[in-house]
Amino acid sequence: MTNVEFLPQVRSAVAEALGIEEDEVTPQATLLDELGAESIDLLDMLFRLQRSMGVKIQAADLANYVQGGIPDDDFGSEEQDVITPAGMAQLKIVMPQIIPMNLDGKLQPEKVMSYFTVQNLVDMVTSRATPVGT
Amino acid sequence: MKMQDKVALVTGGAKGIGRAICIALADEGASVAVNYRSSKAQAQELVDEIEAAGGKSVAIAGDVSNPAEAVSMVEQTIAELGGLHVLVNNAGIVKDTLIFNMEPEDWQSVMNVNFGGVFNSTKATLGHFMAQREGSIINISSVMGERGWIGQANYSASKGAINAFTRSAAVELARFGIRVNAVLPGFAPTDMVSGLVDKGGKGIKKQIPLRDFARVEDVAALTVFLASPDSAYLTGTCLPVDGGASAQLGLGRPE
Repeated sequence: MTNVEFLPQVRSAVAEALGIEEDEVTPQATLLDELGAESIDLLDMLFRLQRSMGVKIQAADLANYVQGGIPDDDFGSEEQDVITPAGMAQLKIVMPQIIPMNLDGKLQPEKVMSYFTVQNLVDMVTSRATPVGT
Repeated sequence: MKMQDKVALVTGGAKGIGRAICIALADEGASVAVNYRSSKAQAQELVDEIEAAGGKSVAIAGDVSNPAEAVSMVEQTIAELGGLHVLVNNAGIVKDTLIFNMEPEDWQSVMNVNFGGVFNSTKATLGHFMAQREGSIINISSVMGERGWIGQANYSASKGAINAFTRSAAVELARFGIRVNAVLPGFAPTDMVSGLVDKGGKGIKKQIPLRDFARVEDVAALTVFLASPDSAYLTGTCLPVDGGASAQLGLGRPE
């Protein structure tokens, strides 16, 4: 996915929520690890996007989008503390940049969001803003 | 008028300090939702009074200690008055008694209404305030939240919780364009505290630097200031309206 239509709105929301320059908000930058976003920053971004685009996205929607509706137990294996093959297949759809990273059998559930990029957020917003079937 | 086109919700607005706040906000042009729990007739009377003076007002039932009722109170305000910009958390009760005689229910009910009401109503407004990036929340607390009084341990603790919550909420919500402040009345002779000021009336008055009790209008005036853009740079404050009482070291007077 390389949606660009909503990139300007997302960049502006991310930059304002984090108090950084818009040119630091590249599509490849990871929100948590590289840009340093915390949970309150994510909430701030989502409310800014709601205001600028009229698209209501809740923090829980973000998790559901990443997990693709797969139940927790099928998404991550609790005893091994890694994402299951089914979970990895889903993550490669919504976060395609992880494909070349060879994370299969190694990715811990708590680390998933640290790979979430600005482009992933744009894709999510696009999926929310575009009615299904168009 | 400083509150033109703004909508305010005042919990426990039918009587006492809440009533004065409703009138003062309406005088500045705000549309006012008067929340009440049991004082339906007084709430409707106040709504009629505000409307007779050319204002816009509705009475809204709801027990703020109940989270679901707080949510429906906020939804109803937005539906009936077309928006919401100011929340005044004023509803409160007292159950004065010595700790020695205090039953668990005596502190739990005071905590549930006074602090629980602030929490529930604040939380109920956040989705709306955050989406519009505007909101002023004013918690009507008490100087008792900062100092102590015999027989008011439960009330004092509930107000102390409100003051601490005010500071944390202000810090957390600032980036969403929401300000949170508290007003700390000293002795204001309303029905709720009549026992206190009647019993110790004259003696208390003498010890207040400004030599008088607070008028409910004094509390309302500060609340309107905190609701209005005049206080745009104030958040996280707990401001006493107490005639100087809490500034003083109360150990008699010099010769």
